[in-house]
Amino acid sequence: MRAFFAKYRAKAGWFLLICLTGYAVLNLLWQSVRLYPGLPEKDPVTLHEERIRQLESLLPASGEVGYATTVENDKIFAAEKAFQNVEYLAQYVLTQYTLAPVIVRNGPEFPLVVGNFLDGPPPPGFLEKNGLSPLRDFGDGLILYRRDRKK
Amino acid sequence: MTFSFSSSLLTSLIIGCLLSFIFIPHLKNGAAGLAFRLFAGAGLGIGVTSCVYFICLLAGLTRYVPAIDLVICLVLGLLCFVLSRRGLRKEPLQLSEIGTFSGFRVLLTVIFSIELIASLLSFAVAFLKEPHGKWDAWLIWNMHARFLFRSGEEWRSVFTGGLDWSHWDYPLLLPLSIVRSWNYMGGESRNVPALMGLLFTCLILGLLLCSLSLLRSRAHGYLAPMILMGTPFFIALGASQFADIPFAFFILATLVMLFFQRRSPGNHAGPLILAGIAAGLCAWTKNEGLLFVPIVTVCLAGTASYTGGWRQFFKQTGWFLAGALPVLLIVLYFKTRLSPANDLVAGFSLAAASAKLLDPGRYAEIARAFFITGISFTQGLIDVRMGMHLNPGAVNILLLVVYLLLTGIRIDEKDRVCLFQTAAVLLLMLAGYFFVYVMTPLDLNYHLMTSLNRLFLQLWPSAVFLFFMAAGLPEPASLAGGRPETASLQPQKGPGKGKNTVKQRR
Repeated sequence: MRAFFAKYRAKAGWFLLICLTGYAVLNLLWQSVRLYPGLPEKDPVTLHEERIRQLESLLPASGEVGYATTVENDKIFAAEKAFQNVEYLAQYVLTQYTLAPVIVRNGPEFPLVVGNFLDGPPPPGFLEKNGLSPLRDFGDGLILYRRDRKK
Repeated sequence: MTFSFSSSLLTSLIIGCLLSFIFIPHLKNGAAGLAFRLFAGAGLGIGVTSCVYFICLLAGLTRYVPAIDLVICLVLGLLCFVLSRRGLRKEPLQLSEIGTFSGFRVLLTVIFSIELIASLLSFAVAFLKEPHGKWDAWLIWNMHARFLFRSGEEWRSVFTGGLDWSHWDYPLLLPLSIVRSWNYMGGESRNVPALMGLLFTCLILGLLLCSLSLLRSRAHGYLAPMILMGTPFFIALGASQFADIPFAFFILATLVMLFFQRRSPGNHAGPLILAGIAAGLCAWTKNEGLLFVPIVTVCLAGTASYTGGWRQFFKQTGWFLAGALPVLLIVLYFKTRLSPANDLVAGFSLAAASAKLLDPGRYAEIARAFFITGISFTQGLIDVRMGMHLNPGAVNILLLVVYLLLTGIRIDEKDRVCLFQTAAVLLLMLAGYFFVYVMTPLDLNYHLMTSLNRLFLQLWPSAVFLFFMAAGLPEPASLAGGRPETASLQPQKGPGKGKNTVKQRR
């Protein structure tokens, strides 16, 4: 009996490894095959990029712009850190990703401010408090603001 | 565009291959040896050319990068030619690979090919789903590439731009490799970062296959990459366009070169220099490399002094550091002159650090996370809504342990020191990661959830390599009537010498 196991256990190891890796690889492929027909024509990052890219003609080639969204700016990172909402941060990062090398600051205190309101309007009174007046509305929640210098 | 991109990769490949010819001139071998040069050389070449690009960036010479790359190719080619004329390539090292083309090997080749095709298809679907990669790709790596490429002469200003959330202290190997390709192409292409991800994923598989084929047997060479292909997170992370996969490649390359050094006649210094370059490139890829370099240096120095005394200590450590130094100087310049403070270091204070060090609750939480992640990391990113939970999947570390128990351990006498060295490096890396978590100024749970599985995956290809360097194998002869196969880099001075000096423990 012992000799039998000694003879076959190494082969069993080889067999086990091939079967399990084969199963894992084919399982991943099966998941991918099932996913493939449901893939959108454009991925979310590309869609966001195309949307944000409309701003480029009105922005300087370099320098800084501000940023405003559905929530107060300080909540963008806090919500992600607390695993509550990653969308606000993703939208901010993708705005920066698209507009680089222009630096998009996470705050409204700049002459030009990108308003990105995919998830709803800004907090009540936010625009007035920061003296932001629309320069151009691109639709789909994207507005470029000019900041009133008196504020 | 395709031609320009191919040219950028080709120059990297040529530079890497020529380096391998210069530093490992004695690798005679046929297809496996040539493939080893291609896989190791391509990765090293990409790393070296990213360093060259950085120097050109500092000197304002980026428009001449293709010409500079070409000059480097010519110089290295000339050096290679001169060395070969001087007979250095005729050292009596032989790589013997004895074995018939058995049914066992045919079966393995077929299964390997099917798994490779399936994995490439899965990679392609992952790319189509997220062509810009996952979160960290566009938050860090591709973002840095865009800034560096689009900023032109003003590229330095991005490091002081205050965009700390994008981690501008992270090293530049991956972003600059992308920028370099864009430079060749004359414009940006969304596909370049994804192709870099695919390339490094394939390079790891190829390097594992070739190195194990050369150091152990062809069957080991096929089985080890199959473990990686059966790791869904490995494929997913490659398609995610993160720097963890290139980093894993350079760790593996470093450790493989250390084995090659042990197998070369008279402990030839060439593989050590290449190991040093690869280790340096680890530090140029990710901050974790700054932990890897001292650990691998200490392990190398320790084993060298233990086995060969002070002379070997100075010799081996010296050659290794000679390879690493040029890259480390670039990293040093980057860290001291350009990079902002790291977020983990910026909030450091002695009082806070000692409080954390003396908090047993942190140790318990990290140990628990290490245990769960250690078994589950192969399955992918953690769903933060579900938290950490055991999810071993079909392929994980336990499979390797069971495989080792079944096949037994078979260690070549020549590899004993290197196996110990590699195991020590991997364990010390894990210990280092553990203490980084103990000291982290970030929320511990957040930090663990968002990074630990990637850290494990960085070490996974090297761990698989280590397992297969130690594992026995069902003899092909007993499976399909072929003769046993062995591989050795050592010159065969006589029967029984240089090969089959094997101690088998079962």
